[in-house]
Amino acid sequence: MQGQFKTPGGKLVVVDFQVVEGMLRDVTVHGDFFLFPDDAFPALAAALEGTPAGLDSTHIADRVRRGLPAGAELVGASPEAIATAIQRGLAAAGDRA
Amino acid sequence: MSEQPLPTQITADPAISDRIAEVADRWRDHEWELIRSTPLAPNMNLALDEVLTSAVGRGDRKPTLRFWGWDRRAVILGRFQSVKNEVNVEAAAAEGIEIVRRISGGGAMLVEPEGAITWSVYAPESLIRGLSFAESYAFFDAWAVLALRRLGLEAWYAGLNDITASGGKIGGAAQARRWNAVLHHVTMAYEMNGELLNRVLRVGKEKLSDKGIQSAAKRVGPLRQQTDMPREALIEHFITAFADQAPLAESTLTPEDIVAAEELIEKRFATEDWVNFLP
Repeated sequence: MQGQFKTPGGKLVVVDFQVVEGMLRDVTVHGDFFLFPDDAFPALAAALEGTPAGLDSTHIADRVRRGLPAGAELVGASPEAIATAIQRGLAAAGDRA
Repeated sequence: MSEQPLPTQITADPAISDRIAEVADRWRDHEWELIRSTPLAPNMNLALDEVLTSAVGRGDRKPTLRFWGWDRRAVILGRFQSVKNEVNVEAAAAEGIEIVRRISGGGAMLVEPEGAITWSVYAPESLIRGLSFAESYAFFDAWAVLALRRLGLEAWYAGLNDITASGGKIGGAAQARRWNAVLHHVTMAYEMNGELLNRVLRVGKEKLSDKGIQSAAKRVGPLRQQTDMPREALIEHFITAFADQAPLAESTLTPEDIVAAEELIEKRFATEDWVNFLP
């Protein structure tokens, strides 16, 4: 499943993932956002892997924030934007089910 | 933030505009060099960005402004974009349009040799010390916004990294920071084939959600349409505008730059691992 969120005045984040036994798996984050330094990128998906699908946005955003290396900064997007994209993906999948 | 700023400001955000004005003198702290454009392969342009950014970071080159030239059409993806999500791969292949990935974030662009004006600024990190990311984007492009205003356009800096005018979005900027240096590059649309753009690039509804329009092509106001000037004359106008804010001397790519870039193309930019980093 996929969820997208564009931060108003900012950039787009897209999250592709599966839900397996209630947890997010095979998570890929992509979009036209900026991330400095760019080698922090794998930490975004790693922080989300295994996240319980029922977790609320605040806690999803916390996981992303904690998962990023010290000093890494998302620009044009945010941990909250990533959480919103995931919630949208889950909601859309729920609508289809 | 897409509302127009006051004529004395670069962006609609007065705090950012004020901060940029405060540090505008920093451009004069360096003697800059200019590399004029020659038509190059898309991957050569991308690899040269890495070669020149690291050379400036090491102090082997003076801070530099380079204009890009294109020898073919290409889609240039941002560092963190998925190929399939951004590009209609079949349509690109049918048109013989190469898909490449750059080292900076930001969005995909479709360029045709005479359709875009692209430049890179390679600067030491000290140029933007103490500035937020948002401030640094606007700082790097303030001179270009003023250059457009000198042509009579109501141009301003919008959102995080867009250069826009009353006639539509003109271009966008992207940065990479590495090797104690900053790469800041800008692509402006000169002429646009909206039909080709809509066929080759996928621009979803969500991306346009805060723009109030239905297609990516509709939001762009290419420079030819807004200025009626030849592309080369516009490039000269930008060079003059840059030289007005900081000393700028002519330079060229060296054979060593090209060799280093060719090695990077082989090692990184032409590899499947890089282009399909996010498939």
